[in-house]
Amino acid sequence: MAFAEAELQSVVGRRFPGGTYTVEPWRAWLLADCVLADPPSLQDGDQVAHPLFAWMAATGAMGVTWDELFAWFGATAADGPVFGEHETTLHRPLRVGAGYRVSGGIESAERKVGRRTGVFDVVGYAMDLHDAGLPPDDPAAHVARCWNSIVFPRRGA
Amino acid sequence: MTVGTELPVYEVASVSAEKMKTMAALLSDPTPIHWDVATLQALGMGDRPVNQGPLNMGYVMNAVTAWAGGPGSLRRLRVRFLGTVLAGQHLRVRGTVSALREEDGVRLADCDVVLEVVDGEPVVSGSATVVLA
Repeated sequence: MAFAEAELQSVVGRRFPGGTYTVEPWRAWLLADCVLADPPSLQDGDQVAHPLFAWMAATGAMGVTWDELFAWFGATAADGPVFGEHETTLHRPLRVGAGYRVSGGIESAERKVGRRTGVFDVVGYAMDLHDAGLPPDDPAAHVARCWNSIVFPRRGA
Repeated sequence: MTVGTELPVYEVASVSAEKMKTMAALLSDPTPIHWDVATLQALGMGDRPVNQGPLNMGYVMNAVTAWAGGPGSLRRLRVRFLGTVLAGQHLRVRGTVSALREEDGVRLADCDVVLEVVDGEPVVSGSATVVLA
């Protein structure tokens, strides 16, 4: 069944359940190794985490799986949703061993028609990361924001 | 350093299929095109796993932070995903300073960045802002 444009707009404003993400030292080491950066020492104390952890934390603790997020838009992984754009804003570096509260939701949704691609939907969503070691109302707690867009092909539309 | 200064070229000599497997586990990403050759073949996608988008983004982060002075120097990265990267491909990140400014007493550099397959197409493009040491 086709996902109607009115349904698409109804999802804008929906909030993610959210959660908390900890940059575990083992995870920091393995991620740095995967991305070809210098892994942090597992013996030393306070260290900066790779900036990719903003995205890792945001998506790792948004509180829904990718399949669940796709389902909000009447889609599955088999429909071929793809990442469109991404923006990370870091107010300060993430730290190895630190925990971050993640909150966010769906910010925009737009139906478009491409000459080659046909009908597709572009959905924007964003998550904010707050230092779990600081009170929520502390202005210094806001560490990062991740904004993303995802493109849903609507081949049947 | 001036506007127009080119950042040192950052290269990934050969994208590793093994690191994609670890990354899939770290991301809890069940998409098999990143690690299962049988699935790729069944989909008519050849036999080279597709690199995760966040890894491609991470190479760009590496390039700008290595130049600026370390992983803590990134303030902002905005990218558009233009294409896929396959295991074994040779990649290159190029960057150019587009603006130099000061904000709250901190020196910042805005850079245009692109990740491209060597002898191929751009796969990620965008802009980054880093704190200058």
